[in-house]
Amino acid sequence: MKKPLPILLLLSLLTGAWSDGEVRFKNAEKAVASKDYPSALSEFEAALTADPDNIQYGSEYRQAVIQAKEYDRCIKFFEKLVADHPNSPNAYLNYGFAYVDKIPAAGTITQVILANTALTYFTKSLELKPSWIAYYTRGNSYLYWPKIFGRAALGVADLEQAMKMQKADSQKRSYHVRAYISLGDGYWKTDQLDKARAIWKEGLGLFPDDIQLKARLSKEGDELKEYIDDVLDPNKRVDTNLQEIWTNK
Amino acid sequence: MSLSAFRKVGICALLLFAATGMRVVSGDSGGRFFEDITQKAGVAKKHTNRSFKNPYSNIMAGYTALGASVAVADYDGDGFEDLYVTDSKEDGKNHLYHNNGDLTFTDVAGEAGVAEGNDAENASADCLWFDYNNDGRPDLLVVRFGHNQLFENLGNGKFKDVTKEAGLYRYLNAITAVAFDYDHDGYVDLFIGNYFSPVNIFNPETPRFFPESFETANNGGGVTVFHNNGNGTFTEVSEKIGIKVSGWTLDLGHGDANNDGWDDLYVACDFGTDRFFVNNGNGTFTDKTETAIGFDTKKGMNSDWGDFDNDGLLDIYVTNITDDYMREGNFLWHNNGNLTFSDVARETGTYNTGWGWGAKFFDYDNDGWLDLYVVNGWVSAGNQDYVPDIFQMITKPGIDFADARNWPPMGNKSLSGYEKKKLFHNEGGQMFKDEAAHHGLDSIKDGRGIGVADLDNDGRMDLFVANANSEPYLYHNILPPGPHWAEFMLEGTKSNRFGVGAQLRVTAGGKTYLRFVNGGNGFASQSTYRVHFGLAKQDSIERLEIRWPSGARQVFEKLAADHIYKIVEGNSKTLPFIAKATKR
Repeated sequence: MKKPLPILLLLSLLTGAWSDGEVRFKNAEKAVASKDYPSALSEFEAALTADPDNIQYGSEYRQAVIQAKEYDRCIKFFEKLVADHPNSPNAYLNYGFAYVDKIPAAGTITQVILANTALTYFTKSLELKPSWIAYYTRGNSYLYWPKIFGRAALGVADLEQAMKMQKADSQKRSYHVRAYISLGDGYWKTDQLDKARAIWKEGLGLFPDDIQLKARLSKEGDELKEYIDDVLDPNKRVDTNLQEIWTNK
Repeated sequence: MSLSAFRKVGICALLLFAATGMRVVSGDSGGRFFEDITQKAGVAKKHTNRSFKNPYSNIMAGYTALGASVAVADYDGDGFEDLYVTDSKEDGKNHLYHNNGDLTFTDVAGEAGVAEGNDAENASADCLWFDYNNDGRPDLLVVRFGHNQLFENLGNGKFKDVTKEAGLYRYLNAITAVAFDYDHDGYVDLFIGNYFSPVNIFNPETPRFFPESFETANNGGGVTVFHNNGNGTFTEVSEKIGIKVSGWTLDLGHGDANNDGWDDLYVACDFGTDRFFVNNGNGTFTDKTETAIGFDTKKGMNSDWGDFDNDGLLDIYVTNITDDYMREGNFLWHNNGNLTFSDVARETGTYNTGWGWGAKFFDYDNDGWLDLYVVNGWVSAGNQDYVPDIFQMITKPGIDFADARNWPPMGNKSLSGYEKKKLFHNEGGQMFKDEAAHHGLDSIKDGRGIGVADLDNDGRMDLFVANANSEPYLYHNILPPGPHWAEFMLEGTKSNRFGVGAQLRVTAGGKTYLRFVNGGNGFASQSTYRVHFGLAKQDSIERLEIRWPSGARQVFEKLAADHIYKIVEGNSKTLPFIAKATKR
């Protein structure tokens, strides 16, 4: 006798309320909640295969990967996903982030290789769709590079673009504060301290409770350098959870 | 003590230290404790890097900016420590600086027969004094890219090359060596760390002799162990005794991590993970890297052992690379007492020393706490930076790092150059404070090895710093009178003659300090065989306990401070130290 399908799944299939991707995504979330990462990863991958450009699926998948420390599996999965779906900007974005996620687990030289590869895929995402998240992501990534590579100026250009986009947005979104922080860091890194302080102040006007902006504005000289160096330390894990993007639509 | 407990105690100790202002040399009004006497001492001869004459010469120049080293020992038994210093250029002479007893030195390498360490097929990289035949005279190993040289000390100011008859004539691209008696048979054995694999780097038959990976390379020279047969010969036993290393070794350090009487081994690897081997006490070792220190990907450069927090357990200091483009940070491995270590470099302020090389524990102000001197800097050349070139190579997809042809030439570019040296003053065993500038030790030359010794027998430890492609430094310690000290020269009878591996525990003022006789720890250098104790305000020693490598224990009570003592294994009385200067 065939096993009966779970009622919820059956209902969703009958009504067409949930797509296959959604079902697999829900299964993945359940597996994460019970810390069953092998099942979670398989389900996330199935969800992404069904809906490759879903930014939320990709982001949640990567967070599970971080817990499971399955970085190479994740990179391999996205490699195939973008090959199968070459016009998916969010898939490329998450592919880039898959490399970023691996950085803290790598040696210093491998970190450079990973960071450089991530930039390639962030650029590809931008080429397909110039979005706020893509400009912010690539711009912020450039800031992690040592000064000698001169990439901070490229970061400033991207972050200014992200800033322009968010200023044109009629809605104030919580994640917009990130561009104020990073653009200021970019200005600081390109020795434009006045511009850095001005943009941080502007951000604080809009987000008066933001502790990161407050911290930067309360510091000067070596203390500020130490703070930003610490923030941009490649050995520390960068929060690559994109949850704010879909919760602040 | 766990890491969190270490941190808590650290904060308490620091507060106490700050509250009491517990500095031994009170009234110091900003005076320096060191003076540079390099020129007037007559030891200023320049080191020159090797230039290669092969198709990869412009690439290799940068990667072999090595070979400036120093080893300390009293080779002629006159009571004054002498210095052996290496050059690396093809026709460069090595130097045997005989100590004239008045802080001047005479280079006697030529007449002694130990000057010829460099030729077209060999480049000096390090040096080590060790008494391989237990005759009481330190013999000399010149560690080389190519074939090492073993010189027997004949006792008349002359040395004889005995490399072949000793069984040590083997092509190894050696860069470091330590000698200790791992199996307690009374003879020191030879542990040699090799950088490149044993390809002839002067005329390589293949371009694929560079590291295959920056982090986990397995195509390096590893470690070669020669067992001392006790009859003037050695037998290679590396694999037999469980020492298997395939990384690019830069330094070896031995010490007894668990106080079981058997010395363990730390291997610092540049490309490839550092390794920690536990001595099983039966003539073999077990690789305990994973549980002791974990697998790292950093560029291990130095391994020195010392009990920096005076808790009776030897800790280990390892330099790595820390710069804007590569933030590895050093390791200060705090010994947890159970054959595991916790890295406390960040907590203690010893994390960042740039592109680190040699580092030595020593007590420069005789306050009873081991300080640290760290030299650094890779290549200090022109204004242009080599970093972008190397990173351009790294980020090329599918690049074969092992192929020397893929590596960009360095030319006259700098890489982590002109870095200031660090003199970390130990602030009560929990924190270190950089005092290099204050004491005039913050040179910006490309430092490699540090020889620590009491060159004028005044109880204050002096420093010889070997710099790559440059003149060395001899820093005379001029610490103002006040803090007390004691030094011990050991002579083994059942144990190896120089007592390498012996642990000494001095109790003074109710505190016990652990030091030991080490057989050449620290990159490109060997410090004195004498064991020095700073005693701060204590003008006498309540108790000295010696644990010899043979297992014998001896206790001496009520010794006066401010003396150099000679102690012979099994002899219940200390012997007077006699120094008789001989000018040459």
